Amino acid sequence: MLDEPYRWLEAISNRRDYIEDQLRGGSPVVGLKYDDGMLLLTIGRGSRKIFEVHDRVALSAIGHPADIERLRMMATDTASVQGFQNSVDDVTLHRLTNFVLGPTIKQAFEAIFGSAYIIKMLLVELDVRGEDHQLITLNYDGTGRANHRAEVIGGTDEAETGMQKYLSAADTSELSLIAALQLALETWTVGWELSLQQTEGALAELEEQENTRSEATIDPERLHEVLRNELKEGEIEAGVLQASRRSNSKFRLLTSEEIHAAIVDWL
Amino acid sequence: MTNYKGDFLDLLKAHDCQIQLNPSSTSVSGSTHHFEETEGTTVVAVRYKEGVIVAGDRRATAGTSVIYDRAEKLLRIDEYSVLAIAGSPAMAYEMARALEHSFQYFRRSQLQELSLEGKLRMLSRLIRENLPMTLQGIGGVIPIFALYDLQSDNDNGGKIFFYDALGAHFESADFATSGSGSVWIRGVLYYQNRWGETQLANMDEQEATITILRLLDAASEYDAATSGYNPKSNIFPTVKTITKDGIQDISDEQLGEIYTQFIETTHAR
Repeated sequence: MLDEPYRWLEAISNRRDYIEDQLRGGSPVVGLKYDDGMLLLTIGRGSRKIFEVHDRVALSAIGHPADIERLRMMATDTASVQGFQNSVDDVTLHRLTNFVLGPTIKQAFEAIFGSAYIIKMLLVELDVRGEDHQLITLNYDGTGRANHRAEVIGGTDEAETGMQKYLSAADTSELSLIAALQLALETWTVGWELSLQQTEGALAELEEQENTRSEATIDPERLHEVLRNELKEGEIEAGVLQASRRSNSKFRLLTSEEIHAAIVDWL
Repeated sequence: MTNYKGDFLDLLKAHDCQIQLNPSSTSVSGSTHHFEETEGTTVVAVRYKEGVIVAGDRRATAGTSVIYDRAEKLLRIDEYSVLAIAGSPAMAYEMARALEHSFQYFRRSQLQELSLEGKLRMLSRLIRENLPMTLQGIGGVIPIFALYDLQSDNDNGGKIFFYDALGAHFESADFATSGSGSVWIRGVLYYQNRWGETQLANMDEQEATITILRLLDAASEYDAATSGYNPKSNIFPTVKTITKDGIQDISDEQLGEIYTQFIETTHAR
């Protein structure tokens, strides 16, 4: 039956709807360039979502925890073997996403008798010279986007569009770590609210505000309220690929003190 | 294949990527008496007030020939541990590389650092897997593993471990030496620690550096395979400290000053 093209397309469409429905409540992830590397930030409820993959590569994802774990291990294993077999300099985000993760996710998505990956991933790569950082997203069907300054993933397309618009309107050049944390939290809040609201009006409202982006774009009090509410059960998780780190491995999770310093005035 | 145990050596095997230890015995047996292995070393580690100080000479020899005079024998494994190698450089470098990647892979895959005991056992396993080469006399590696243990109950978390050729590890309370020149300085260290003006564990960084450089100088005097300071090319031994702040290289400038003030002048008397 499924060898008929229409049936196959219908099955794929159903699968797409199912996965998007599963991802809808996912906590957004924001990736940003700052003056000493790359920042990944999200707010989670228990399970860790930001991971070191290799010396200069990190990832975060939303989706089913088992799928995140499988693809995280696949990326880590591949990078580790390649880094040992050749050189750590040969482990690149481009190779990981284009030759390993992307094809694997696409193949699972289109194999309609098997289980697809319920996942959206955001991977970042640090260029220690600071010239060519990479941020690459991978969708549940294997497609993705690439950027050099900032990138996001969210539970819905609307949430991602809203976050991208918010970031594109912000000044992301030469951000300190604290400024990057604050901007990432603002962006996360925009995405989280859009994920929850899921109304056409929400995006339209955001677009309307975009032209006059200032402190009024997100009412600070409302932002504080959203954050305070979310932090009752959730916890800010942030990791950096830090160019100035002395170790070969540039990844580290930020401490609660570092995170607190960025939000202390908001609480 | 996904590796959920965090064992890097198993991961390599699963990907048909073997490290170059333990080749089949037939491939190297027979004519080893014609083969002059690159070897000859003195490496030494001393526990001092703030942690551990490690030093190694720079000479690599094959028989009576000096092959290289800038060999690096102190290999950084992670932020708090150094492998001081003695023996066959080919095997030692491969061992150090496998060790470094193993620690990193465990942390990345299991989301926690490998324990101190786990690190020691990993090195034991690599040395044991190298046993065929050691027995044939062409690929033995007897390293010192020096580290700072942040979880230690003591104020000073510096620890020194030495190994035998079968991979057994032993913790040394005060110092360890390895390599062909080590026999000339082990007794000096014992003497210094027992009857010297300052015990090794009470020395500050400068005192420890002076002591360790004098020991290498003594080793180079009696062991042809160990180099001292080479004034013609301005080549110094490598010296690193491992403290709660991580690993620090003692720079050539610092070493130069110490040589001028405390080594060469004393020697000239």
